[in-house]
Amino acid sequence: MIPLLDRPLVQFGLAVAVVLILPVTMRSGTLASEILIFGLAVAACNLLLGYTGLLSFGQGIFFGLGSYVAGLGLVRVGLPAPIVLLLALGGGALVAAAVGWVSIRRQGVYFVMLTLAFSQMFYFLAYTFSGLTGGDNGLLDIPRPRLGDTVLSGPWAYYAFVAVLFLALFAALQRVALSTFGRTLLAIRDNEARAGAIGYPVRAFKVAAFAISGAVTAFAGALHAMLIGVAPLSNIDYHTSETLLIMTIIGGTANLFASLLGAGAYLLAADALSAIWPRWLLLLGLLLIVITLFLQRGLWGLIERAVALVTRAPPPEDPAPDRPVVSNPDVAPASEATR
Amino acid sequence: MSEPILATDALSVRYGSFVALQDVTLRIAENSVHSIIGPNGAGKTTLFHALTGRIAPSAGRITLGGRDITRTSDHERVRLGLARSFQVTSLFPTLSVRENLRLAAQGRTPWQALAPWRRAEANRPVLAVAEAMLERLELTRVALRAAGELSHGQQRRLEVGMAMAASPKVILLDEPTSGMGIDDIAAMTALIRDLGRDHTVLFIEHNMGIVMNISDTVTVMRAGRVLVEGPPAVVRDDPEVRRAYLGNMITGDISGPKDLVS
Repeated sequence: MIPLLDRPLVQFGLAVAVVLILPVTMRSGTLASEILIFGLAVAACNLLLGYTGLLSFGQGIFFGLGSYVAGLGLVRVGLPAPIVLLLALGGGALVAAAVGWVSIRRQGVYFVMLTLAFSQMFYFLAYTFSGLTGGDNGLLDIPRPRLGDTVLSGPWAYYAFVAVLFLALFAALQRVALSTFGRTLLAIRDNEARAGAIGYPVRAFKVAAFAISGAVTAFAGALHAMLIGVAPLSNIDYHTSETLLIMTIIGGTANLFASLLGAGAYLLAADALSAIWPRWLLLLGLLLIVITLFLQRGLWGLIERAVALVTRAPPPEDPAPDRPVVSNPDVAPASEATR
Repeated sequence: MSEPILATDALSVRYGSFVALQDVTLRIAENSVHSIIGPNGAGKTTLFHALTGRIAPSAGRITLGGRDITRTSDHERVRLGLARSFQVTSLFPTLSVRENLRLAAQGRTPWQALAPWRRAEANRPVLAVAEAMLERLELTRVALRAAGELSHGQQRRLEVGMAMAASPKVILLDEPTSGMGIDDIAAMTALIRDLGRDHTVLFIEHNMGIVMNISDTVTVMRAGRVLVEGPPAVVRDDPEVRRAYLGNMITGDISGPKDLVS
């Protein structure tokens, strides 16, 4: 009934496969860890963009916030890493709920502008309160977490730590996406006005989606700070929001494994291209144009087609090209049925 | 007449200086089929918006089962038993027909659905309602198709079914036969008549054949006011209504009984 590739066990199996294949095929454990960390943040972004239809430029706020929580908690206060990660989760949820609560008061373009405004505001807050955030320098000397008496200082040791947490949160996000909550988000994405008319308090659902997305994003941000040993100002930059959105779209929306794919493709391409050409972002721009024009289901859509070719099942159709990413309450998408 | 299930008292809606509804007083009897007719701009859809809570009335009162719901939010009214379908089909186009109905049935307990850990399949009563609705709407065959891929007639039936799936006390249908062909209209008429046996149905309709055939009560509106109200036979013979027809005021598809335009 559910297409093979969309089955939760298959999706989780694919994620496990990636986690196991990366150490075998890659030389850099740091880059491999980065793929999983961004995979998480992109999956969280997908919950808003792909599942709820909310194009949020605020994801960088939560990512940066998580980094700062890690920096402050580990360096200044000296808390143990598990506590710090839980704090990042909670802090991300709170700030995202607040940002979401204000932003969803408007729809469409105005919603996007509000998240953008928040993004700028938090960036300058972090820049201004340099006593707390280290300003331009960021928070330095963030230690790696320890397991018993061993510090996970080696890149692959830390990778293993990240991999376990990644799989746990990936499974949790899957559960969310399949729950009554996640399926109602899809309805809100499809037709917000009708979702309200059949009884759903749409705003509460959107705020909750923000909170969950923000929690996971901040968690990823904390892992990232531990990975590179710094909580840099750039993590809370608007550019981080942009990167997360681009990864989401490259991978494909409304599918969680696609997010890992998007993060991996982006980071691997960036790694390979930046070594040969400093203007590699230009090529990335081209890739994004091609995907937006011809591959609206992203790299994941490409895989779906390939599998469909092999199994000879009809591939899922691309969504109509004019389907709005951000739903408009006054225009029902299924409105061919006018008089 | 026993206590009306849905009632309005001197309901008015003003947009600035424009009066969309003026002193509309309605009494909708339980388990009756009550239709509202009138020319475009008579305030029919505005009345529906006010009843469902999409717009706030400027004055007057709305009661549902004796309870004042004038200031109750739209999704809270759904929980209290008021559901509506839309004149322009409004579905979840990329979701399956079954999922559309499941979501509509689950809309009665919306806060429960907010739990991010609760599996949709665990809510058996809601699944059962969706399944029963598929049968009643004769959509079982296309249960797994995306709603956006259905034919127009099927989409209109699903549109009405979405309102029914909330197991409402009162169901408001805004032009259920809008844009339908002859065959589909017959199926929809049968569906509404069937609905009237265990629901209270209030519907806006331009098709006089349907209105006169299946309504218990007809309310004729004009310029935001109630012009005439009564059983179909009385309304049909009312001189004011006849004048309205001869003046070609009632727009839309006047098929069915020929005696109207005689």
